[in-house]
Amino acid sequence: MRRLLLVLLAIVALLPADAGAAKKIQVVTTIPDLADMTRKVAGDLADVSSIATGVEDIHAVPMKPKFAVLLNRADVVILMGLEAEHAFLPALLDASRNPKIRRDAPGYIDTSVYVPVLEVPSRLDRSLGDQHPMGNPHINLDPVRGKSMVRAIADGLARNFPEHASTFQKNAAAYTKELDAAIARWQQEAAPLKGKKLVSYHPDLIYFVERFGLEAFGTIEMRPGIDPTPSHVADLIERMRQAKVEIVVRERHYPAGLAETVAKATGAKLVELPAMVGGVPEADNYIAFIDYNIRALVKAATGG
Amino acid sequence: MHPSAAVWIRRIIASALGILLAAAPFPAPAQQAPGDAQLRQELDAVKEQLRRVEQQMRQQEELIRRLSPGTPPVAAPPATPGAPGVAAPPRPAPVPPMTVDVEELRRMILADIQPQLTAANKTFASQFNPAIGFIVDTVFSHSRENKSNFEFRSGEIGISASVDPFARAYAIINGTPDGVEVEEAAIVTTALPWGFTVKGGRFFAEFGRLSTFHDHDLPFVNRPLVLDRFIGGESQADGVEVNWLAPTPQYLAFTVGAYNKIGAANDRVDNRIPRDISEFTFLGRLHTAFSLTDSLGIDVGLSDAYTPEVRNVGLKPRNVFGADFTVRYAPLSQAAYRGFVWGSEFLVNHETRPGITPTEDSPDQIFRVRDAFGGYSYFEARLTRRYYPGVLFEYVQDIDRPASRTWALSPYFTIWASEFQRLRLQYTRLETNSPKQTDDQFFLQWTIIMGSHAHSFRDR
Repeated sequence: MRRLLLVLLAIVALLPADAGAAKKIQVVTTIPDLADMTRKVAGDLADVSSIATGVEDIHAVPMKPKFAVLLNRADVVILMGLEAEHAFLPALLDASRNPKIRRDAPGYIDTSVYVPVLEVPSRLDRSLGDQHPMGNPHINLDPVRGKSMVRAIADGLARNFPEHASTFQKNAAAYTKELDAAIARWQQEAAPLKGKKLVSYHPDLIYFVERFGLEAFGTIEMRPGIDPTPSHVADLIERMRQAKVEIVVRERHYPAGLAETVAKATGAKLVELPAMVGGVPEADNYIAFIDYNIRALVKAATGG
Repeated sequence: MHPSAAVWIRRIIASALGILLAAAPFPAPAQQAPGDAQLRQELDAVKEQLRRVEQQMRQQEELIRRLSPGTPPVAAPPATPGAPGVAAPPRPAPVPPMTVDVEELRRMILADIQPQLTAANKTFASQFNPAIGFIVDTVFSHSRENKSNFEFRSGEIGISASVDPFARAYAIINGTPDGVEVEEAAIVTTALPWGFTVKGGRFFAEFGRLSTFHDHDLPFVNRPLVLDRFIGGESQADGVEVNWLAPTPQYLAFTVGAYNKIGAANDRVDNRIPRDISEFTFLGRLHTAFSLTDSLGIDVGLSDAYTPEVRNVGLKPRNVFGADFTVRYAPLSQAAYRGFVWGSEFLVNHETRPGITPTEDSPDQIFRVRDAFGGYSYFEARLTRRYYPGVLFEYVQDIDRPASRTWALSPYFTIWASEFQRLRLQYTRLETNSPKQTDDQFFLQWTIIMGSHAHSFRDR
């Protein structure tokens, strides 16, 4: 007991003193998409870190103690919202002991606030799966909704740091313009995808398919977060054959074997896509991420 | 408005006009012989009526076009030559460009939907009720020594909510065949600065790792023997605890606490008997963690619980020291499907215990300082999102009979039907050397969670 107290005192003595230098805004985002957007909005005013690296399933990001340390020092936390980060963020916020970023505190910036949400359940029941209780949260896959997320970031940062509000809004407007140009280009590039039916492992592509004119036919998962049963897979394959579904998407954090089996059984083309920035090395920023997904799908749809 | 709506409006108006004309009371030839002049006059009247309708339609189309965003401007139709003898109709006056006041439009739309928004935002008296979850834990057991049993282990209600901007609270109320007990009911601060939290009430003291888990949260069916014997099962304690996350780049969390006692089944001290402040049980814990790679990490914890002599119950000083190590492997891109946890905990119970029972010849109780050691180590693999095989090894000494040692080996297999329903099959081989005793035990555990649930940092 005494030894423990001595260790504690020694560590207190070794704590780094505050240098008092001009401090950058400490931002922690849940996913790299938000980190990229925040860097565009905040520029040099902020140090931005992301909890996820981009290869993870947003519903199963491993909680590490170092994230609690990161969040403990954060001025704001920026998240996708709609309970997408339910598996790790609430617990990490508790562990971080940082009142500034507790849920609904000013430093808690939810980027879904301006986004029209799809698949909002008409009733909540775990027999329908448990991962999307507030509607489908995978809004980062749609660049138009991405613009709304940028707006939420700018407004959230301005709320916390009003002295830099004009900088945030100016940067957000410039980035939005950049996104507008990219969206116009993507609409042209995605023309061959119009009307194509698609099956994904998890229902995380619905915003993407709506934006670019595809049709979400079904998912390999039984329900969001519920692994498929053999009968579900057999039924899906049968329905895909009848409907002539051409594309099966495996988000890269889901098992390869089953997606391959479904694609092979139906003659559909298997496409492996990242669900976040950083999911593949080429998708190192938000525009490159959407670029990658469109090109991979167009390649599959056109027999490339 | 969609451009196709314009076509429909035009059709409706044209149809209405057709019906009007068809129904118009033309004079019957038998009653009145019409002259050419009269016929011409009527024809001119119809033409004029048509012209007006056409003009109205053009104006409406233009209006629709202006209100439809992204509609390309429509080229003006070529002028229709007038019928001979009829003056060309005057060109319709150009519709002035329409300016859309976005703010006004937004205000109008919001005004229209405001009743629905108000209805959706109604508050209810029960709206601030806490989140509630319910857990059912039931086990079928079969043992060579103790035969078979369907054991309803617990029905547990968990409730939690924010209290105010400064604290949150939670309670776990557990119903078992032995009765209903408030297992935890605690207040936790949320707004203290510098990384501090204070917890008060009844809660599981931060001693070690698995002693802070409820029975149904354990990775195997039964609590390790060493925790049952040295802690008293769950580390339930009535008291107060201060936790501090050091502002260092390395994760370092410190806990100090003072309690009546630690351990739900620790019967050395009674929660209801008051004592001097110096006779509480005091705890200190240090917890840190290291990331060896992105996928591999190790948690290390050191805990110490000291209870001085408690005079009114005749308890002599006691010290329990514990060290826990947990290695976690979770590949980032497959964390829900692959990985393992290797968890170990070792405890030393240093205690002054009553020795020989007093007799008439030697009425004074004789106390002896004893040490007992125990520990467990388990390895659990994650093969898919559903299947988690594992094996648990346990060893513990008896504090009152140091020569008596118990070993247990328990392979188990957990199947998660979903995050909220779990089946677990376990076999345990138990051996005690003195008195020599062995047992083979089989368990089938079925656990479900209803309602609210939370992923805690501790359970990760």
